[in-house]
Amino acid sequence: MAEQVWRTRGGARRSTRTLRVRACAAVMAVVVLAVLVVPPLAQLDQQAVDLAAKLQPPSWAHPFGTDDVGRDLLLRCVHGLRVSLLVGLVAALVATVIGTAVGAAAGALGGWADRIAMRVVDTLSAIPHLLLGIFVVAVFRPGLWPVVASVAVTHWLSTARIVRAEVLSLRGRPYVDAAVSGGASRWRVAVRHLVPGILPQAGLAAVLMIPHAMWHESALSFLGLGLPAHQASLGNLVQGARGSLLAGHWWPTLFPGLLLIVPTLAIAGLAGAWRDRLNPRRRSELTL
Amino acid sequence: MTARTVRGAARVALAGALITGVAACSAPAGGAGGAAGADSVVVAAATEPDSLSPLLGYGKDGNSKIFDGLLTRDADMKLKPALAQALPEVSADGRTYSFTLRRGVKFSDGAPFSAKDVVFTYRTILAAGTNNPSKTELDAIETVEAKGEDTVVFTLKYPYAPFAERTVLPIAPEHIAGKQDVNSGDFTTHPVGTGPYVLTGWSKGEKLSFKANPHHWGGEPAVKKFTMAVIKDDDVRATRLRSGELDGAILPPNLAEGFAKDTARRTYAAKTFDYRTVTLPTHHEVTGDLAVRRALDIAVDRTAMVDKLLDGAGKPAFGPVPTDSPWFAAGTERRHDLDRARRILDDAGWKAGADGIRTKDGVRASFPLWYTSGDKIRQDHALAFASDAKKAGIEVRTEAGTWEVIEPRMKTEAVLAGGGSPADPDFDQYLLLTSSHGGDGFNNMAWYDDPAVDAALAEGRRSADPAVRKAAYDTVQRRLADNPGYVFLTHIDHLYVVNDKWDGLGTQVEPHDHGLGAGPWWNVETWKPKQK
Amino acid sequence: MAGRRTLSAAPVLLAVTFGVFALAALSPFDPVKAYAGTAGLTASQAELDQLRINLGVDRPLVARWWDWLTSALTGDLGTSAVMRQPVADVIAERVGWSALLAACAFTAAVLAGTVLGVLAARRTGGPLDRTVSALAYTLEAAPAFWLALLAIWFFSVRLGALPSGGLTDAGSDTVTFAQVASHLVLPALVLGVSQLPWFFLYVRQGVADALAEDPVRGARARGLAERRVLLGHALRSGMLPMLTLIGSRVPELITGALLVETVFSWPGVAAATVQAATSVDFPLLAALTVLATGAVLAGNLLSDLLYGLADPRVGFDG
Repeated sequence: MAEQVWRTRGGARRSTRTLRVRACAAVMAVVVLAVLVVPPLAQLDQQAVDLAAKLQPPSWAHPFGTDDVGRDLLLRCVHGLRVSLLVGLVAALVATVIGTAVGAAAGALGGWADRIAMRVVDTLSAIPHLLLGIFVVAVFRPGLWPVVASVAVTHWLSTARIVRAEVLSLRGRPYVDAAVSGGASRWRVAVRHLVPGILPQAGLAAVLMIPHAMWHESALSFLGLGLPAHQASLGNLVQGARGSLLAGHWWPTLFPGLLLIVPTLAIAGLAGAWRDRLNPRRRSELTL
Repeated sequence: MTARTVRGAARVALAGALITGVAACSAPAGGAGGAAGADSVVVAAATEPDSLSPLLGYGKDGNSKIFDGLLTRDADMKLKPALAQALPEVSADGRTYSFTLRRGVKFSDGAPFSAKDVVFTYRTILAAGTNNPSKTELDAIETVEAKGEDTVVFTLKYPYAPFAERTVLPIAPEHIAGKQDVNSGDFTTHPVGTGPYVLTGWSKGEKLSFKANPHHWGGEPAVKKFTMAVIKDDDVRATRLRSGELDGAILPPNLAEGFAKDTARRTYAAKTFDYRTVTLPTHHEVTGDLAVRRALDIAVDRTAMVDKLLDGAGKPAFGPVPTDSPWFAAGTERRHDLDRARRILDDAGWKAGADGIRTKDGVRASFPLWYTSGDKIRQDHALAFASDAKKAGIEVRTEAGTWEVIEPRMKTEAVLAGGGSPADPDFDQYLLLTSSHGGDGFNNMAWYDDPAVDAALAEGRRSADPAVRKAAYDTVQRRLADNPGYVFLTHIDHLYVVNDKWDGLGTQVEPHDHGLGAGPWWNVETWKPKQK
Repeated sequence: MAGRRTLSAAPVLLAVTFGVFALAALSPFDPVKAYAGTAGLTASQAELDQLRINLGVDRPLVARWWDWLTSALTGDLGTSAVMRQPVADVIAERVGWSALLAACAFTAAVLAGTVLGVLAARRTGGPLDRTVSALAYTLEAAPAFWLALLAIWFFSVRLGALPSGGLTDAGSDTVTFAQVASHLVLPALVLGVSQLPWFFLYVRQGVADALAEDPVRGARARGLAERRVLLGHALRSGMLPMLTLIGSRVPELITGALLVETVFSWPGVAAATVQAATSVDFPLLAALTVLATGAVLAGNLLSDLLYGLADPRVGFDG
């Protein structure tokens, strides 16, 4: 799955673009606020079973309705989104650290180290992400951390490539050469010139990775290879609602799916704006 | 080859692929074929057997279609002869069972059936190299011998009253199965037996197809073609049943409800021994406490579970024996009584803390409860149990895992378990409750340990006197009410919806494992098309 | 270049097989319990131990890997515990159905993506472009399993128009064309739709870029019919890069198939992969992972090949 943000052409639509960025920011603000504030403030038990109130359609008491054992779906969706976002954030962070380290090392050291690192990257890229993720989770037991690990170990590859390319291009620039021949230490060169060059690229890759990681988590959970089924996560909610959907109860399926789409679009929109500003002429290698 | 011609060729090939692809995608939707004539029956089950070899456990509880046992059961679960001519002769000490075999029976490949096939089947199952996970059930057998062509004699290690119930086990042909690897040979997927049906195809994960065996000793079945579709997903099963593709299917209560007003179909609710229970491990400091056990046992609202989780298709369970069985000990029902549960805990010194969870001597009343991932019924039971326990001030932390994860923890952590075997109370209770089976694989998962129960169970399995046996199993159930090492929640009815096109349908009392042999089609060989 | 790619595929595959076995060795899972299944509930410890010896799961990692590799080269991939069948048979039975599904989905996605892409590129920023683009972004963000469920709900449950799963109706013993075709529609549709946004956005971008190029502008200025400009020049230069990249979409296709085949119980290799994973069936999972890797490498090779054909500057230097 590629979260691609495409270059829009011409300046005529700059105002719509600003508007869109603001909308994306607003959506993300609401989402982040909701998952940060609601669970600790509302002392509600998202696992509270109320058998008498099972499968109630959306109402004022339950804006998203209730599921087949009478749990409030809004509360569970917020908890699910929280878990999904957490997995996305942590996995993206870990993947970025691994990717940056490998990419920077490969680019800076060159030679054998570079060749071995890139061979590993090639090998891992040849396995579809979800399949590798499924494998990792199946081999270790499904759960929060195996899922994070499985997402992280499959997602650092593109970051490594980007960072390596960036390092290589920076190494060739005159001012770096000048600094090295001027007697500056390797560390000094790295810190002064390479790090500021790499960080924005790595950061952008990390942000774009978050929705992908969220999607990944929900797919694993949906397949029964993610979080335990009773724990709220967007994938689990969709999986758990399958029975109800076919009996005509659409709400337990619809809302978790929408909650996965909305933040994905918002993050992609924000990252796109960032990229346009950062580097208006590049796009292809940032696709994940 | 120049680049241009290669490019041209590639273009042609691509175009060709596109056209065929489109043709395949846009072909008209075929009409619902499937269930048509009355001599063909298509039903759907949720699971399929792992193997079709009786040597590996297939059909061990009877109704295997492809095979016959020495004995079989009728609609009322009474034993009757099958490959044996009559019920066995049992010696006075209860340790020798002699079966005289039916003559002239042939396997579906034409080879004659004889005593050596019976001996082969039982000996192979008991052999160490055979991967039959349920061989404990034949533990009582010391030797099995053929006396001539048509007599088989079993000698037991100890008197075992319900032994005859075990001999519904299907008999495999020695001349085929004896020549291959028992665990992986061709016979495990291409079985040959004496039964009323012959397997014509097995597409794994999709369906098993059978045709009637015209030479069956019981007469040729009227239903000539029998198909068992394997559809794991409840909703898919319901959808396909409604579209007319299936003649019958097992359905969960909420989906079976949708067919209640359908005059062309009938719903059969099979009574079962299929219970769901929470193990309360003896070796955990909270669940091992008698007050906690008794409080939990009455804090759970079994009626709500039956009404809402099972949509009424079941019964509250107070022990392994369902309340409507003749083996049930009257008076052991427990009422849902939250106040009394709280009082029991208060009196025992479990005091509520700030978060509502009780503690005693620094021990927090909290324990994990595992359910098997992917099992919705167990998951729902576990969540409802946890909610009920919380109202009494006990925290139950629900956890999901596969058996590989759960099994090593069973000694100290609670599990939402299931089981139940209707043929004899010994079958499930002995392994579930005897202290010597504590921690023995999946037997007695809670390490339940009660000397009175041990004694009663031993007496129940050895005595041939029905009154003595009844008294013994009454004792077990009473002790279980006083010291609930397991909180039994529900007995689950199995619901089947079937087209109303045949006569002779009914259901047996069903066990926990309900595969091919359960459901109204347990006796599909005797169904007759309805006269119009 | 293509030849070099082929050569470099072998060590990659080898590394993947070893990685698979190394990870498996770290697993806390017990294949014996998986084998015993539900019947394991009545199995005693002694029987489980015997089962363990019979299944040979206690041998060291490298030995198991080497055995697997040498016998895999002779076509013996071991026996699948969950399917109770040789792995090679499982794959042989299923790979065709997966290929059929993937081919139909791909074709649908390419065709629809091209048509929509060209239409949208004609007036970038126009109402059609904006609607379809917005839809494409949304579809790209929507998980395939969710789309699949909504499709089943709408087409199978509400309308009752299409079968919701399987390959054929249960009662029919033969696999007929009409049966397969009707069962194929929904999974192919959902898989196609999940691949559509990428193709659409790529074509749209390519055609829009081409329309802005000098030759095309020149052609327009010369008064060539809009249709000829669009189909003759712009589409050509817009589609070529996309066609060459089809091969590189194999990973996404496999990812989508894993979800779609599972939801629709399509008897393909992707659904088998998920089954193998949930029951920790190593022989099957290992073989299917290697198979998927092979498919990805083949896709890359195809990509290179097509790229070479499309762009004469890249020679076949072997």
